[in-house]
Amino acid sequence: MAATESLSGPNDLDERERAAVESLLYRLADDEFVIADRYTDWQVRAPTVESDIAIANIAQDELGHARLWYDLLEDFGHSEPDLIWERDPETFRHSTLCELPFAEGDWADAIVRSYFYDEAEHLRLEALEESSYPRIRDRVGKIVGEEGYHREHAENWLRRLVSGEEGRERVQEAVDELFPYALTLFEETEDDEAIDDLGLRTRTLSAMREEWIETVTGTLTEIGIDARAPETDEDGQVLTGELPDHVGRDGDHTDHWATHYDEITNTYRELGRDHAARLMEDPDDE
Amino acid sequence: MDLDTVKERAGPRQFSPDDDMPRKYREAATRMIQFHANSEIMGAYLERPFIREAPSLDRKLAYSAKTQDELGHGQLLYRAAESLGIKTREQMLDELANGEGKFLNCFHYPMESWVETPMIAFFVDGAAMRRQATLKRTSWEPYAHAMDKVVFEEGFHIKHGESILKELATGSKKEQEMVQDAFELWWPRIIQFFGPTDDDSTHHDFSAEVGLKQMTNDELRQSFLNQYLPKAEKYGLEIPDTPTIEQDEDGNYRVAEDELDWEEFFQIAKNEYDPGRGQIDSRKRAHDAVEWVRDTLDEYETTTSGHAPQAAD
Repeated sequence: MAATESLSGPNDLDERERAAVESLLYRLADDEFVIADRYTDWQVRAPTVESDIAIANIAQDELGHARLWYDLLEDFGHSEPDLIWERDPETFRHSTLCELPFAEGDWADAIVRSYFYDEAEHLRLEALEESSYPRIRDRVGKIVGEEGYHREHAENWLRRLVSGEEGRERVQEAVDELFPYALTLFEETEDDEAIDDLGLRTRTLSAMREEWIETVTGTLTEIGIDARAPETDEDGQVLTGELPDHVGRDGDHTDHWATHYDEITNTYRELGRDHAARLMEDPDDE
Repeated sequence: MDLDTVKERAGPRQFSPDDDMPRKYREAATRMIQFHANSEIMGAYLERPFIREAPSLDRKLAYSAKTQDELGHGQLLYRAAESLGIKTREQMLDELANGEGKFLNCFHYPMESWVETPMIAFFVDGAAMRRQATLKRTSWEPYAHAMDKVVFEEGFHIKHGESILKELATGSKKEQEMVQDAFELWWPRIIQFFGPTDDDSTHHDFSAEVGLKQMTNDELRQSFLNQYLPKAEKYGLEIPDTPTIEQDEDGNYRVAEDELDWEEFFQIAKNEYDPGRGQIDSRKRAHDAVEWVRDTLDEYETTTSGHAPQAAD
């Protein structure tokens, strides 16, 4: 893709530019926020103390990334309550991969999901390193390093899990279940043409999906797990039959999301809050 | 080393795995550190649902960091306990999962609302801090060493707990009332945190003689009340009438301990308190549900003869 001229700050964008930037940011922020909150289900319940600390670490990284992306949306005048606490849950744009609950003890699901997600996240961030929107570019650098660790973590665990019969079966089940949901990470919205045109990202979703499919099916086959590439039409779009009923990117979610969102906002509603505390000091940095 | 020598030499960070410690010392230290490690895990278990329910993104981040830190403390402490050669870490974790492991009284009570979180994250952690700060001078060096990190990180947790309390106490009238109710519910439990007066404590004498414990329960409770009564008042919390707390002419607090429910306390100490059983049992279910993963790991490590990838756990 040809190098695009750099866009300016949030206040100088025209309507089309702003819609494209926001659309991209909502997906980034919502994915990270929702999958992070799901991962916290494993905190103090993971198989070993070490894996417990690792999954907590990953959840926190993703929450931190959500913070960075939501902050960029705040540049457009949205407050945290607008973006999270008082938002219509049907306007969340995360992929449905992020919202599925974990069955108790299904660590294979956590690992496969994180593997799928982090491989996709890696490609997505690479495509943002040269984004024409400077504030996105600046933040990508902070995130890339952490995602490397996440991928290593997931792949390491995959190899260990498939070494036993039960683990192999469970990984296979998780792959069968989650693969269609993972494809939704690459589903397009009406804004994607503008996103590519404006150089907000330097690779299209289809190109990223193609590489993602090659990588994950390659790795899974190598470790003895069946995974096949989904069928596509002439334009390289995944056939609808290969996708789950709810895609997420268009605001259409599984029923799990409504329940999950209700739990997330429980305190906020119980206390009748109208603002969200921003802590001056990040407790990690003090 | 015989017991007399131990008592003679007992001092801060005096003994390490290089010393040949008598069994009685090793058992007492194991009991104490295992209790501490278990408490870190069960405290985190109690607080975990509030990562999800935290009412702001920053609070969610801070709460998630806190439970992760506590798991890390548990990990450090089990190692410090393991270094005494009495129990392996697996044994201690199994005991905890099976409901045999003992842990702090406050972590047996269910927590249902966000307004209760500062009761743990400020008051209970603050109480624990009194004790932990003195344990930097305990005689078992690996324990004292673990305390350096634990105390450092707990400092941030308490600051965050205080920030939650302050937000609620200066919030809407409804929030202020809710936090006062939570305080009244938790206050007697928090006072009981330090256990009954020293006369009733079975393990204290020996632990003090060999330098494992540095202060008595009573001294710790005084220190806690000195620091936290003014803080509670500062945030407009009314100190509940029960138990009666009076200051004598030397400024020491006298707690009317007989007004507290010690039957419940000792039931809890035996892991027999019903609501607490709920916590223990649900954690056991979660622990058992991932037994298959631990089995897979064991097998993997055996078949790869210890050359398992170590980079990421």
